[in-house]
Amino acid sequence: MSEITIRKRSLEDAVVTQRKFFKKTAKGKIIKVIRERYLRDDIGCGILHCRECSATSSPPPCLPPDGALDHQQFPTGHFVLPDTNVFLSQMDLMESHLFRTPIVLLQTVLEEVRHRSLPLYNRLKALVKMEDKQTWVFYNEFRSETAIVRNEGETPNDRNDRGIRKATAWYNTHLSMTRPPIRGKQQKLLPVVVLLTDDVANRQNAEKEGMPSVSIRQYVEGMKDASQLADLLSAERDESIEATVASRRPQLYPDYLPNATVLTGIKAGHLHQGHYNANEFNYLEGSVSVPAFAKPVLLVGRENMNRAVHGDIVAVEVFNKTDWKAPADEVIDQEVALKNDDVEDSDEEGEPLGLVAEEQRILREEESARQAAERQPTGRVVGIVKRNWRAYVCHIDRTSLTSSSKTSISQQTVFATPVSRLLPRIRMRTRQAPSLLGQKILVTIDRWDSASRYPEGHFVRALGRVESKEAEQESLLLEFDVPYRPFGKAILDCLPPEGEQWTVPLKGDDSPEWRDREDLRDLTICSIDPPGCQDIDDALHARKLLNGNIEAGVHIADVSHFVSPENPMDTEAASRGTTVYLVDKRIDMLPALLGTNLCSLRPYVERLAFSVIWELSPEAEIVNVRFTKSVIKSKSAFTYEEAQLRKDDPNLHDELSEGIRLLNHIAIKLKAGRIAAGALNLASPEVKIHMESAESSDPIDVEQKQLHETNSLVEEFMLLANISVARKIQETFPQTAVLRRHMPPPPENFERLQDILRKRKGLALDVSSSGALAASLDKCIDPSEPAFNTLVRIMATRCMLSAEYFCSGSVSPDTFKHYGLASPIYTHFTSPIRRYADILAHRQLAAAIGHSTLHPTLHSKQHVERVLSVVNRRHRMAQMAGRASVEFYVGLAVKARGEKTARVVEEALVIRTFRNGLNVFVSSLGIEGLIRFKRDIDFDAENYSVTVDDVRIAVFDKVTVRIEVEQDKNTQRGKVKMTLTSPVDSSALQ
Amino acid sequence: MATVSLSKAEVAYIKTSLEATPPLRSDGRGLYDYRTIALETGVAPLANGSAHLKFGQASEQATEGTEVIAAARLEVEDVESGEGVNGGRISCTVSCSPSAYPHSSAAAIEDIQHDYTALLHEVISHPSLRPSNLSILRDLKSWLLNLDILVLSDAGNIYDALFVAAQAALWDTKVPRTRTVEYSAATSKARVALGGSGDMDVDSVEQSGFNVRDVKTAADFELEDYWDEGEPLRGGDAWPVCVTLNLYPPLYYLDATSTEEVATPSRLLVMYSFPADQPPRLQGMRLLGPSEIGLPLIKTLTQTAQTYATDLSCALRAKLKDEDLRRTEKARQRFASVR
Repeated sequence: MSEITIRKRSLEDAVVTQRKFFKKTAKGKIIKVIRERYLRDDIGCGILHCRECSATSSPPPCLPPDGALDHQQFPTGHFVLPDTNVFLSQMDLMESHLFRTPIVLLQTVLEEVRHRSLPLYNRLKALVKMEDKQTWVFYNEFRSETAIVRNEGETPNDRNDRGIRKATAWYNTHLSMTRPPIRGKQQKLLPVVVLLTDDVANRQNAEKEGMPSVSIRQYVEGMKDASQLADLLSAERDESIEATVASRRPQLYPDYLPNATVLTGIKAGHLHQGHYNANEFNYLEGSVSVPAFAKPVLLVGRENMNRAVHGDIVAVEVFNKTDWKAPADEVIDQEVALKNDDVEDSDEEGEPLGLVAEEQRILREEESARQAAERQPTGRVVGIVKRNWRAYVCHIDRTSLTSSSKTSISQQTVFATPVSRLLPRIRMRTRQAPSLLGQKILVTIDRWDSASRYPEGHFVRALGRVESKEAEQESLLLEFDVPYRPFGKAILDCLPPEGEQWTVPLKGDDSPEWRDREDLRDLTICSIDPPGCQDIDDALHARKLLNGNIEAGVHIADVSHFVSPENPMDTEAASRGTTVYLVDKRIDMLPALLGTNLCSLRPYVERLAFSVIWELSPEAEIVNVRFTKSVIKSKSAFTYEEAQLRKDDPNLHDELSEGIRLLNHIAIKLKAGRIAAGALNLASPEVKIHMESAESSDPIDVEQKQLHETNSLVEEFMLLANISVARKIQETFPQTAVLRRHMPPPPENFERLQDILRKRKGLALDVSSSGALAASLDKCIDPSEPAFNTLVRIMATRCMLSAEYFCSGSVSPDTFKHYGLASPIYTHFTSPIRRYADILAHRQLAAAIGHSTLHPTLHSKQHVERVLSVVNRRHRMAQMAGRASVEFYVGLAVKARGEKTARVVEEALVIRTFRNGLNVFVSSLGIEGLIRFKRDIDFDAENYSVTVDDVRIAVFDKVTVRIEVEQDKNTQRGKVKMTLTSPVDSSALQ
Repeated sequence: MATVSLSKAEVAYIKTSLEATPPLRSDGRGLYDYRTIALETGVAPLANGSAHLKFGQASEQATEGTEVIAAARLEVEDVESGEGVNGGRISCTVSCSPSAYPHSSAAAIEDIQHDYTALLHEVISHPSLRPSNLSILRDLKSWLLNLDILVLSDAGNIYDALFVAAQAALWDTKVPRTRTVEYSAATSKARVALGGSGDMDVDSVEQSGFNVRDVKTAADFELEDYWDEGEPLRGGDAWPVCVTLNLYPPLYYLDATSTEEVATPSRLLVMYSFPADQPPRLQGMRLLGPSEIGLPLIKTLTQTAQTYATDLSCALRAKLKDEDLRRTEKARQRFASVR
């Protein structure tokens, strides 16, 4: 054993060795923190074959001895040592695979980045681990030669800059010291370590001290792939230019308040904090939901929206009540309204006056039309709490290219139009404009100056041609932030080494798999799933007991047996949160080996399961419930349809068919019980895409999904299992149980729908409770229009809040209720292959029945809260991605159908009226569409109707529409376009 | 304090020696000599200011001298809730280590502590001495300065030691710089008032006298520089020193050892403050002991005490400045040379 010596410093050295700082706590107390710093001499430089450092350093050095040799300015080889600002503003450049120069990353820089921006810090950490990069983290604050002490009166920034320069100087001396000239040989020229910084003062100081330093732009210009890399540079300009430009251009937006002021205002309740939501119909309007008001705070006009981008957390100031406004009834499309905005113009010449006037006219016009009755809190954005900018999928706006430069490869400024209607156009500079036309590209916003109408961004990478499946698919995943990289080696290493050959071992006392497991291999268990399902995570059985009661069991794949807490696979699954289903692709949460094989409860093979077994009375009341880990062997895997046929076939009397019948019998009673308790039967448009063949992914048609009785059978048992498990884990772990709830919606959410129904159909909607709502929804029937009821249900669903996972100790027990299911408590337990929350529930249940001990992290409320907030977000995103994918394929299908029959005409129901358009829902395709009228029409907001050519069209009216998919000329964005064919043909009105 | 019990003979012996010409003291000092004083500041890194003081500890025996440690800690207080007061406040506490008074019971030590605390608190936290930079946000937040002194051992003249240590710790105290952050709804415009708490009155200047409405402002503060210790506590030159005159009227002597204290019937404590550019100020006075002394005598005694206090104060200032230097520049130099 090596001897440990603790070299305690004398108090005398404290000033130098201790790092002192103050911290203000959330409660407003000031705490003094002291960190002791021990300096050492054995911190390695990270360069391979270094005489002095190699032996001592760990991890092993990774920088090549001569650095990079391909830069024009540094023929003798060089390493770069970037300053903090490089990572803060040019992360995309540093991450690019074209940027191959070995990087020396200083501890000072790493810490400063962490202090300034946590997301960037995480990206930086990932960059250090990237395999195609050579990055060495040098702990300069701990190496005795490079550690520095803050001078009297020095700002932290200056101190850090000095530290960075000192480290650069040390590296260069170190290189010359370790490679002394050898007699008789010609002295090889030494590589240099170059300080990379955009801070002019730092560069000047470096030059004074005689060390090589260079700005990023200069550096990139000397690189091999200069033109491609230059595009990745963010729009940060040189300070000198910026000053003059800013002074010349008029300020378009009010300045933000300083951050601390904003926080104070929020704390005192004068300002309100919330997520900014852009309005997808009107680019000049947005809203912010804040806890202080029941209705969201409305932001009208550019000045009041003040550079907020969808998803940002902003601070708003609410105007006096007299200035409150109602939301607009008009569709205002950015592309149409701003068609003539010139990129270069708005960039340099200030704002074209016509444009401003036009926008103001729109607002004024709208203003007069706003209804006084529907006023809601109105305000303006005064500060940004947190930007949530990410990379956005965009197209290049063709018109923003000047005709002469359509082919030129000189740098030019263009507009990138994001695919999402919620985002503003982004101005960016690129040299590759002509080649990027007609492509989907990824663009990041860098900044948005108060003098600039549009945010400025830079190109990240191209995804591929518009409408190519790969590009569309990837853009969808990026747009919804779905992690889709293949699983890494560390994760795959967590899988059982047997791989595909893994089987349940023979039963025996010594096998760990069989410990505390019940042998249910003889039970007649089957699974019922949608056709083509590969990840079967649930199976069922039922049989009559001798006492007349019924035993029913739900068997869920025992995923937690394979996924141990806190290993790389578990961490990855936690961050993915859920499996994402697109029409033509599934992005797994767990490696496919588990999902589709080892955990999938395939028929005829033994599988590990977690079983919930009830004893139910013939009236479906629970007599007894028990939970056990088990081994099962499914007897069959049915599709919903097969199971239905089997159940309905009176000639079949085998055990399986009887089981299904028994299950169905109970399910009907369970459902009746639920409905009686006030459960809602909600609807969302679900359609099925028909593919031409299994191999090609060309959709040929769309039809609405068929629902069988057996769908409901499986659903009822899953609900029952989830509720039983929720009770059990909440009982055992009242502080950290993973549960799911659905908060009752505030009654105001329904006001509009209630008003429409009353005025249009004379129907009343009782929203006092979920039961009352369910009953009144049942009464919303129009005998002439069967789709009407579904439509109302869809609209009611949109008025509700979304369900969420939560940690039972974090909220008060009276808010546990699941509104939609009318259950006092609920969790997710039945799909551990595709949902991470279920894995947590499995672990908690296993601990609750004493099968295993609970991992310490599941005892920590903070940890559970953190994991669940990620899962909640991923879950939401996955749903949106799925829907967007369906929409894309519906578009393709419509196009395909259109090519065959020349025109696609469908029936549609009007769901919303605007002063210049209609929003319709095509139930056969499950899509919504917007019909715009160019000509003036009479709009009656009170009665939700418009009058076109003396024909009155109101909400819930049936119309027929022609559906086309047309490509936007500018952006190549394919969009569904609808025109009215009856009762009036609107094509003339467009 | 009465930790040592002496026989009548011993008391008489001490008295006669002191009254002899030339006066004789057991350790060979003159009547008006102090024992050696050792002082070090910045001994407690987590405190905002601290000092370690020893009276007369030239020899190695730990029990020989009077030894105290003083530490000042700043704490943010809410003015609104009635906890703090505008302008900040100082709270002094003296605690005694049981080893300082090995012959006293726990209850007796508590009494002693209480006596010390009361005297120190009364003098130090007097409004005339309040530093001007203890306020953070008017009507909202202020600093509470907790001055804690621990008596490690008492070999006489504890009062002088307490005040010297208190002054050193307060001298060493740095107040973190704060910045006012304000959002005022009435004008829809937020102002950020820069600077420390001393500049707070700037805000009231900005408000017009015609504005009679109650303008609601929301304000909080933030740290200007989380690395910086802050600015020194103001009013550092006004902290008082205490001079204890041990009385055998008309004879008196300074810096009594514990045995001498027992033999002396009464003591006069005089606290003087020497604010810059102002005449010396008497901050407090106390007579300890059973005997009475007349007013004329007190007058002359305070006069003499002032001269000794001036000397003590000058010496202390010089030492404190030297300490500051030792802990900053010299330490850096040493650090640089060691590497």
